[in-house]
Amino acid sequence: MNSGIRILFLALFVCFFALGSAQKPVTITVWGMAITPDEKGNDLLVRQFERDNPNIKVKLLGMGAGAMNPQKLMTAIVGGSPPDVIMQDRFTISDWASRGAFRSLDDLIERDRATDPYCPTPDQYYPAAWNEAIYDGKLYGIPFAADDRVLYWNTQVFAEKADDLRKAGLDPTRPPRTWSEILAYSKVLTEFNPDGTLKRAGFIPNEGNSWLYMFAFQNNADFMSADGTKCTLNTPAAVEALQFMKDGYDILGGYENTLKFKSGMQGKENDPFAIGQIAMIINGDWRIAEYARYSPKAKFLTAPAPVPDDRFYKRGRFANEKDTFVTWSGGFAYAIPRGSKNVDASWEFIKWIQSLDGRMLYAKGQADLEQSRGRKFIPRIQAHIKATEQQVARYASGDSVYDQALRTHAEMMPYAKLRPATFVGQKLWDEHVRAIEQACRGAQTPEAALQSGQTRVQLILDEYYSKDDYPQVNIAAWVLGAFGVVVIGLVVWVALMIKKGKGRVSVQETRAGYAFISPWIIGFLVFTLGPMVASLVFSFMNYDVLNPAHFVGAKNFTDVFVVDRDLLMKALENVGYLAVVGIPLGLSTGLAIALLLNTGAKGIRFYRTVYYMPSITPTVASTFLWVWIMTPDNKRGLLNNLWNNTITNWFGVASPGWLTVEPWAKPALIMMGLWGAGGAMILWLAGLKGISRTLYEAAEIDGASGWKQFVSVTLPQLSPLIFFNSVMAFIGVLQTFDNVYLITKGENMGPNDTLATPVYMLFNNGFAYFRMGYASAVAWLIFFIVMAVTLVQFKVAPRWVHTEVDR
Amino acid sequence: MTGEIMFLILTLCLWVGVYLLGRGIFAGIRLIFNAPGLDRSTLTKQLAVSSGLGGILLLVSSFMPKDLGRANPDSWIPIVWIYAPIPGWMLILAAVMLIWRLIQSKTALTAEERKSRFAASLIWAGVGVAGFLWLKGMSGQISILRGALPLHWPMVFGLAGLSVAAMVAMIFAEKTTAARGVAKKFTAQIALVVGAVIFSVPFVWLLTTSFKEERDLANTDGIVWVPLVQETYPYMDPEKPLYEASFEGHAVRVRKDSDTAGGKWLVEVERPYGLRGRRFEVPAGSLKEIPRDQKIWSGEVSGKLYTAFTVLDLEDGSRLVEVMQPAEMKGQRLTVTPDEVEPVRHQGLRWENYSDALEWMPLETGFGLAYLINTLWLAGMSVLGTVLSCSIVAYGFARLRFPGRDPLFFLMLMTMMLPGAVTMLPQFLIFTGLGWMDSLLPLWVPTFFASAFNVFLLKQFFSTIPMELEEAARIDGCGYWRTYWQIMLPLVKPAMAVIAIWTFMGAWNNFMGPLIYVNSPAKMPISYAMGLFASDRGTDQALMMAFATMSTVPVLLLFFFAQKYFIEGVQLSGMGGR
Repeated sequence: MNSGIRILFLALFVCFFALGSAQKPVTITVWGMAITPDEKGNDLLVRQFERDNPNIKVKLLGMGAGAMNPQKLMTAIVGGSPPDVIMQDRFTISDWASRGAFRSLDDLIERDRATDPYCPTPDQYYPAAWNEAIYDGKLYGIPFAADDRVLYWNTQVFAEKADDLRKAGLDPTRPPRTWSEILAYSKVLTEFNPDGTLKRAGFIPNEGNSWLYMFAFQNNADFMSADGTKCTLNTPAAVEALQFMKDGYDILGGYENTLKFKSGMQGKENDPFAIGQIAMIINGDWRIAEYARYSPKAKFLTAPAPVPDDRFYKRGRFANEKDTFVTWSGGFAYAIPRGSKNVDASWEFIKWIQSLDGRMLYAKGQADLEQSRGRKFIPRIQAHIKATEQQVARYASGDSVYDQALRTHAEMMPYAKLRPATFVGQKLWDEHVRAIEQACRGAQTPEAALQSGQTRVQLILDEYYSKDDYPQVNIAAWVLGAFGVVVIGLVVWVALMIKKGKGRVSVQETRAGYAFISPWIIGFLVFTLGPMVASLVFSFMNYDVLNPAHFVGAKNFTDVFVVDRDLLMKALENVGYLAVVGIPLGLSTGLAIALLLNTGAKGIRFYRTVYYMPSITPTVASTFLWVWIMTPDNKRGLLNNLWNNTITNWFGVASPGWLTVEPWAKPALIMMGLWGAGGAMILWLAGLKGISRTLYEAAEIDGASGWKQFVSVTLPQLSPLIFFNSVMAFIGVLQTFDNVYLITKGENMGPNDTLATPVYMLFNNGFAYFRMGYASAVAWLIFFIVMAVTLVQFKVAPRWVHTEVDR
Repeated sequence: MTGEIMFLILTLCLWVGVYLLGRGIFAGIRLIFNAPGLDRSTLTKQLAVSSGLGGILLLVSSFMPKDLGRANPDSWIPIVWIYAPIPGWMLILAAVMLIWRLIQSKTALTAEERKSRFAASLIWAGVGVAGFLWLKGMSGQISILRGALPLHWPMVFGLAGLSVAAMVAMIFAEKTTAARGVAKKFTAQIALVVGAVIFSVPFVWLLTTSFKEERDLANTDGIVWVPLVQETYPYMDPEKPLYEASFEGHAVRVRKDSDTAGGKWLVEVERPYGLRGRRFEVPAGSLKEIPRDQKIWSGEVSGKLYTAFTVLDLEDGSRLVEVMQPAEMKGQRLTVTPDEVEPVRHQGLRWENYSDALEWMPLETGFGLAYLINTLWLAGMSVLGTVLSCSIVAYGFARLRFPGRDPLFFLMLMTMMLPGAVTMLPQFLIFTGLGWMDSLLPLWVPTFFASAFNVFLLKQFFSTIPMELEEAARIDGCGYWRTYWQIMLPLVKPAMAVIAIWTFMGAWNNFMGPLIYVNSPAKMPISYAMGLFASDRGTDQALMMAFATMSTVPVLLLFFFAQKYFIEGVQLSGMGGR
């Protein structure tokens, strides 16, 4: 009886508990899984999950996540509304983890590994994929997608040049296996035009997706010390690898010559490898589907990428090496951001989508989709070993070149290395890219190039590890204190000014006056003065909002001016270019249209509308429109299509890459701006209307020609307008942000930072990395530049701005 | 380089020669027809000099060696272009201006003029040096491009037409002063038309792209200006029937998944995309079947042309199609690869790009309606806030005398120059602290606290209103507030309309604000939603352009209805700026 009641209670309790949890539906928000027609697999995954877990609803959002640099994530975490699950490039996980943005998943795995077959465990994954999600000994993400790189060789080109290859003692029926072999093949396969430019490249060391990482890993170089405190970019092994890349470029007539060759390349149907412009290329598995789709007639095979000779022949320091071929791998993972409100539901979701069943369901969805589009489905490499094996067996067991290629990729996965899991991963990447460029261009020796990169990475490492050397401060007290001082100072100043002015004062009117201007006073204190003071205080702090601030003195400023000097200079140079070239062009285009309209031409209302409309088109819409018009591929881009039909035909000049190449990006930006010159036109029209006819009549009597009249009547009369507009335009240009952010998708700052602007720098540091101190220093720099230039403009103005003097 | 310079000189000889010869012929014609204007001796002189010089130049240019140009078509006219980055152009311009100014200074009449022209030439020399250094710094170079205009008929007619037009214009222009005015206007009109075409081409491209099928986005056979759409056949698929249903308040299209135990059907949603894959139960047979729009193809089998529609897509990428025509093959089913059939298309607009773009938007935004509402709300509140607060503050500064007014006004003017960047980060922390993250509040609440620029404009405007009006009101017993609200405010309506429009445009355009503050789609304004849409669907240009069109149309509508304020507002304010 007693035990019966106890059991009954227990059962009731369990029921209650189960019901309670069953009746509480939750919605989890997932960033980085977009609802797009290309991701039917995700659709299936989510719907299946919702069916299996009726309490959990899943909301998918692209949010630009998954990219290297999702600004939204940090603002969402700091603002207390983070997503529940985020898909993230594994390469960046350490960075996020080091800033406390992600939640460690170890406890969840520990809890479930015995009971849940879906629970991820290290043995199910390729080590390269699993280890990349570990930072400081803790796991922060569950990998699901992976990739690796192998050599693609165009068998058609090899067959064409078979005789030449044999003459050089090379076998045209197999790919190269060692570094010296691939250089030898490249030498034979490379062809030049009479003028020395490339007609075909045998092998471009850094084309496709190899980077220095590929060759350095092959040479057993590491990039970071084991404890992660020292950067070891410059090691003899890495120098050798970089030297190999330089040798590869020298065969092609140098780096510049290769760049010139690359600028003429196009994608998709005219992929340079598929059409035989490049004979050998190192590429990732994501390319297979594109070859299958756009170049079904291309003939190629795949093989592991060639390795150093010593490694292949097991000599020297490689005598005891067991793996002959290696590659490197990257990919994506799912993580739970800090502050997620539904950790358990999120974890259930992650467990399901990364599981073998989940991955297979995903593949099925993608396969159905491709089928409905009349295309063959080619799976991607998965981080889950069994998922890769089963997908290859199910979808890529045939004899087609694509199936073979995928199998090569899958076979290489166990030998994949990973980029060091460090929070300076992005910086290390950027510096290694810069080193490749410097060395291959011949501007520096490989050793010097790597050393300067290493130094810059080390600076950030040192900064991080010396963080606690600086005194911790209460930032709120500092800001409030400083704010108080400034406000008192202002009140005193106003009081002094009041004392100076004399006259009758009506108490009633004073009261009313202050009441009327009070909105501005409040707004000024809260939204302008307070923030200004705060940002001044921040600029002397190391502050990331999530952690306590440290007082670092002028360090942020020295960082801006010394450490990041190159980028800062580049950003200033860019806005300088936009200002010096763009503003006069914009103003004069508007003026030219206004002058034409002012001749009394017929249909002025119509023209005014046509010219004015572009300037009121929303920035976002017009930016995307122009990006589309300036698409480099002359089959798709309108501008390059026209260019190709005229200038290429007449002068033989290939169409430029506009926003995608360094020398054209800023002119392209200015062109986009010129489309909106109609805004200024309206202004000039108003100005022109205001010029008295008598001035022109007088000039005519003096015998002044049209040009003379323009120079000595129109321009001086318009000069106050010109002055006002150039001041405002300059302040605007210095704050260029929206369009460059949209063009670069917030991922980088354009080719070779050619679209970097100060505000972009500030935005990235402030909202992507929450380096509040650094960003505030940049903000103050912008402020000073605006002030200085405006002052100069005002000082110079009296020399050329015409003012009516009333006497 | 010498080859290029020689090419440059000879090409210039050719074109100048042609021009001079044309002038000579023109003078000859006028001599023959006794045209009024110039006297015969001048004309004769013109005829002799122009045609003589032109002939010599043409003769010189005919010495152009054939191999001097690049590989050319058989018959061609040489043209030349200087290809340089912007500092290169700066250098060239400076060089030309320097030479011109130096010549001018030599020919000047007075010493003063000589001095000023010489000074100008010095400035140009400075510009040239700057351009040169810049060019060096960016390792750019100036190159002379040797070009060739192929001489095919359209080109010949085009050139001939241009010359005739130029001659006609010249005839007109030289007749009388009145005619010169007409010619000037005519030229301006032509320039305006050309400019208008250039300015509207992007719009046309925006629209035409938004109505294109994917295959037409690549202009493999020339640019596609007029969109084509593939025809479809309403097919009642007996194997995969499609039904209309309603699910969670949305009209959906579903297909049957399976029978359930209770004698019901389990159906799965196919569209809209946001609900794709959701399953629910319905009473068996209760749904209305609707046809699928299947694509129509044309092909050839054993020498016979046929048209057919898709029945099924097969795993290897081929399709099962059912023949519609010719009659004797009707109903026959064929398996074809994509290469074997061509789509049957006609000129038309693919409206599906618009409906697809809307359908792909997250479900909670109600097919994008939320974006529009949010934007209108944001713009509306911003306008209200700006107009109210700015006019109140401006009135205070303009019309009331109180101690501290002038220093405070000066302070406000100073903030006009403050870049938004400086206050951006702390403002973010303030709004986060208030819990306003993921809402539109941070974007419009500050507008209720007046902005310096608008206050400044309105203050100027208030100042032009005669003081007597206000004094009269005061005598009638109006308080300050009533004077402002009933007397002054109606008088500055035009200026407020201008400010309202600018604020509206600014709010509509605001991208950075939502980028920082808004996370959930249901709360996003349109500009940021479009940025996000691009990160998901940026490669699908037809959809992107459809979205861009939809985000632009409301602004253009506003413009057409309030054109007066847009354009005349600038005059009202006296200075403007956007």
